[in-house]
Amino acid sequence: MGTFRDNWRIFVLVFVLMASLFALFSPTMAQGGTETSGLANDGPTNLQYGLQLSGGTRIRAPLVGVTATDVEYGSEEAPDVERAVANELDNATVADVIARPGTDGAGTVEVTTEGVTPEELGTALDAAGYSYGETRDGVTEETRSQTVDILSNKINEAGLSGGTVQQITSGNDHFILIEVPDENRQNVEELVNQRGSVRVDVYYPTNGEYQQETVLERDDFQSIGNARQGGEGQLPNVPVVVRESAAPPFQQRMVETGVAAQGGSTCRYGAAPNSTDACMLLVVDGEVVNAFGMSPGLAGDMRTGDWADDPRFILQTQNFSGAREVAINLRAGALPAPLDIGPDGEGTSSYISPSQGTQFRVDSLLTGLIAVLAVAGVVFLRYGEVEVALPMIVTALSEVIILLGFAAGIGYPLDLSVIAGFIAVIGTGVDDLIIIADEVMSEGDVNSRRVFQSRFRKAFWVIGAAAATTIIAMSPLAVLSLGDLQGFAIFTILGVVVGVLLTRPAYGDILRALMTR
Amino acid sequence: MVAFEVPEIDYTRYTNRQLAAVPLAILAVALLIIAGWYVVTGAPVSPGLDFTGGAELRVAVDAPSDQARAQIQETFDPAPATVRSVPNDNTYILTFQTDSADISSLEEQARAAGFEVQSSYTVSPSFGSRTQMLALGGVAFAFVGMSVLVFLMFRTFVPSIAVVISAFSDIVVPVALMNVLGIDLTLGTVAALLMIIGYSVDSDILLNNHILRRSGGFYESTHRAMRTGVTMTLTSLAAMVVMTIVATLFGIQLLAAIGTVLVFGLTTDLMNTYMLNLSLLRWYKYEGVSN
Repeated sequence: MGTFRDNWRIFVLVFVLMASLFALFSPTMAQGGTETSGLANDGPTNLQYGLQLSGGTRIRAPLVGVTATDVEYGSEEAPDVERAVANELDNATVADVIARPGTDGAGTVEVTTEGVTPEELGTALDAAGYSYGETRDGVTEETRSQTVDILSNKINEAGLSGGTVQQITSGNDHFILIEVPDENRQNVEELVNQRGSVRVDVYYPTNGEYQQETVLERDDFQSIGNARQGGEGQLPNVPVVVRESAAPPFQQRMVETGVAAQGGSTCRYGAAPNSTDACMLLVVDGEVVNAFGMSPGLAGDMRTGDWADDPRFILQTQNFSGAREVAINLRAGALPAPLDIGPDGEGTSSYISPSQGTQFRVDSLLTGLIAVLAVAGVVFLRYGEVEVALPMIVTALSEVIILLGFAAGIGYPLDLSVIAGFIAVIGTGVDDLIIIADEVMSEGDVNSRRVFQSRFRKAFWVIGAAAATTIIAMSPLAVLSLGDLQGFAIFTILGVVVGVLLTRPAYGDILRALMTR
Repeated sequence: MVAFEVPEIDYTRYTNRQLAAVPLAILAVALLIIAGWYVVTGAPVSPGLDFTGGAELRVAVDAPSDQARAQIQETFDPAPATVRSVPNDNTYILTFQTDSADISSLEEQARAAGFEVQSSYTVSPSFGSRTQMLALGGVAFAFVGMSVLVFLMFRTFVPSIAVVISAFSDIVVPVALMNVLGIDLTLGTVAALLMIIGYSVDSDILLNNHILRRSGGFYESTHRAMRTGVTMTLTSLAAMVVMTIVATLFGIQLLAAIGTVLVFGLTTDLMNTYMLNLSLLRWYKYEGVSN
């Protein structure tokens, strides 16, 4: 028992090491949901690699928009408020204004489009006759979390497996962070850049003038099928089923406007917009992507009223990718606010090819190993005694193993910055072990346990002080979310904590066992 | 096995003024360089892509070096601001520091020319300037936090301020060197500057601790502190030199940047700890206490 009591620190270290190795290698610890976690996981360990070391696209950007808080709606409903505010703004349509009523009759009004300043929103609210608290840049929490949900849906619908979308906050700034493994930037940007509002308008002549009005919106669809290639004279399309409640009014409008005319209608919206039959327009983000008429058969069903009993319908597009976009956008929904990306935006994005990521993984591992060898070389040269130097290297490496186990255990993705953190941990770790070794071996032999303890304690004062300064120095990076460097700071701090509490005391015990024999 | 020993320096041969003069002169020169840089360029150190905004493209070009460079110059519009080659393979890192650099179109241009796009990275100018404010705030916070901690630990003015001045110089001299050698301030170098605060204070605290809190003469304590401290710094230095070289060969810029700046910082720290800090401590021990 005596051995155990004297060397309990070593036993604790061995136990934690075993636990870390278990977390690293045990198949039972492997996280099941790697498909949705957004991270690559392969090789013999349970380590997860971030995009830098596995390849993929990362986009980080705020949402576009301005917000007015504590707006008094009076007795009006949110849609009325939206319409009234949009009327007072030059650069915004109703779709860009979101009114969210609060609990006590006051709510927020957001305008989510480029080119509207908080001052302009204030002026518009004044002109529309609403009193408000203040106006500011940015959107509300509800809008942000809605955007995150819809973006995740879009990424799933588009079949980009493993993509993640999350909200990150840094001070008062909020960002949306999108990470998609193995996918190149264009595809991801195209997908997330679209607001994705899809609607069907009808375009019809009345008294010699053409009118356009919306007849179907996303909520009017009961189900949305997969995009189809078309063929046999048919354009690529998306089959949809219209909701039971929306089908009769839609059918009626089709008949009234002349789309469902006797014998169908032929649309020439593109070629002759001022002399065509009535048309249906498929509108995505305010732009007409396709215009089409109606086949005689369908028109007939609509005229007899049979169609509403089986309200199936197809949305035609010019090409297959267009059909896919329409299907994705209809299923995922429209973004309440666009992402502020592009050269004049507020965001940042990066793309690493999968082969480059794998290469970085191997290269950075090699770099770390070579750095460890350099440290080992200097330590051996300095002490010349294997008894002192070898435990030093082993102890420093065990810190890294514990950190790797921790990363695997919580599923923290390894990136270049985390690897840099490991190298920093080895550096500070060995520094502290040198302090312990020199202190313990100073002034002649260590013959009694008491002498050892008192020297060890002295050494520990310096180590504690050094650890505290390192933690203070790194803490801004750990909390500020300065992009890639958070992982570096977190793991350097963790390494220092593990070192001071666990490995460096254990090294003291090892050294004592070797010196006081 | 051959053990090397940290040589014992006979400090009695030098006066405090002589000892402090060298590091202070170097600090003054470094401050002058930074001030001059500020006057000429409007910033104390040239901010890199992370802070100015712009785009970076890493492409593999299947051609001999001089041909590849010519191809790169022909391919891109706007033309890249800088072209660096990665020594290990036929890879080139291009930066575009214009506001109008649209990364997607640059990627397309690269693919159209038959280059393999290995990675790309873009930061918008406004995001960059936000990051810069955060980074500078972070470094300032870290430095002030470290200073407060040092004063709390030693509770005497001269030894504490000695540590703080040394740490200040450990940061300023590498920054001046970055200007001279044309290394931009990036997130990686900011991390390295923060690490210098952590690393460099270790040896200063060790020296103060040995001299102020231990029995034994001044020179004996100094020698013991040096034996440990110099070994510590040399191990870190060895690790960082090797990391810099290897990471540069592999073209891993983040690790190379951290390594380079830390090599500067650790070298500066050797000088500051055992000349500047030491002279202040000796003055404090022999003259300051009696006053």
